[in-house]
Amino acid sequence: MGTFIDGRGNFKEIELKQDLLQDHWTLAAANRRRLDRFGVKMIEFMGSVGTGKTSLIQQLVHRLKNDYSITVINGDLATTIDQERILACGVDALQINTGKECHLDAATLKGVLERLDLEQTDLILVENVGNLICPVDFPLGAHRRLLVISVTEGPYVALKHPTVFMEMEYVAVNKIDLAPVMDVDLTALVRDIMAIRPATRVFPVSCKEQKGIGELAAALVPVQ
Amino acid sequence: MHEFGITSRIVSTVMQAAAEHNATRVLEVELLIGRLTFLNPAQVQYAYRVLSRGTILEGSKLVVEEGEGAVRCRRCGKESSLELPPQGCFEPLPSFSCPACAGEVEILRGKECLIKGVKLLP
Repeated sequence: MGTFIDGRGNFKEIELKQDLLQDHWTLAAANRRRLDRFGVKMIEFMGSVGTGKTSLIQQLVHRLKNDYSITVINGDLATTIDQERILACGVDALQINTGKECHLDAATLKGVLERLDLEQTDLILVENVGNLICPVDFPLGAHRRLLVISVTEGPYVALKHPTVFMEMEYVAVNKIDLAPVMDVDLTALVRDIMAIRPATRVFPVSCKEQKGIGELAAALVPVQ
Repeated sequence: MHEFGITSRIVSTVMQAAAEHNATRVLEVELLIGRLTFLNPAQVQYAYRVLSRGTILEGSKLVVEEGEGAVRCRRCGKESSLELPPQGCFEPLPSFSCPACAGEVEILRGKECLIKGVKLLP
């Protein structure tokens, strides 16, 4: 691992050149290779508690389940509430309970993928633990990562979390039906997101009124 | 970021390297932290002090070098540095885009958390 340079005085210097964050990406890349071997596409859903990640997945499942064999993986500290909600949509669902871990990681996902019948799966939708900040730094190996925010988080959610939005290719803004009640200017919110990363694709949606779901589904799948 | 988790891996990696070189003490660890990891060097220092207690790293110096971020435009190909405000403030808001043409960028540097070298007592 290290190479001795030379004794200088009474100590030795060794070079390590070991990147500690790289391991996450290496593990995530291994998950991706496993999925690719079976032709399975994986989409990850991230976002704060209560933004409507599960509701959005439910809506997408209803639209896509006739064309794709879908499995949903739900991450939560506790309960199987989300798993039950997805099972009621008529597709497979697995619940991961993390106790107090604030995000899923590639090592956990590796174990889950080993339990799935990937031969019989087209699409895996992973719902990360409700948390706006941490999951972004822990890639799972998904082909696409979608951040779900909602107008109930207030008008400043993008401006206050620039480091999260800097790397987000897809952002869904949920609960747009509540924008007038919440006094949130949707145009300004989208503008803030685009100011941080102009290439981000933003999709205003309302799970409750089933608005914008078709546009989002068409952007997410098929995964090239 | 998750400074404690990352730092515990710094400590265990250095301990393993020290054992491979039959070292009795670790004197210094040289670390490069890329600015785009948003790891907080002060928190890493604190975690290092706590986690090295009772190990051959106890009392050693953690030297942290901060590496700037660099991006490349996917449209015009221009490489540029990503200027970030100093630690502890985030004004003005950084824009994750090409300063020349506002195109989409990919990260070239700044995501490192690299142990560069270790000084050991034999």
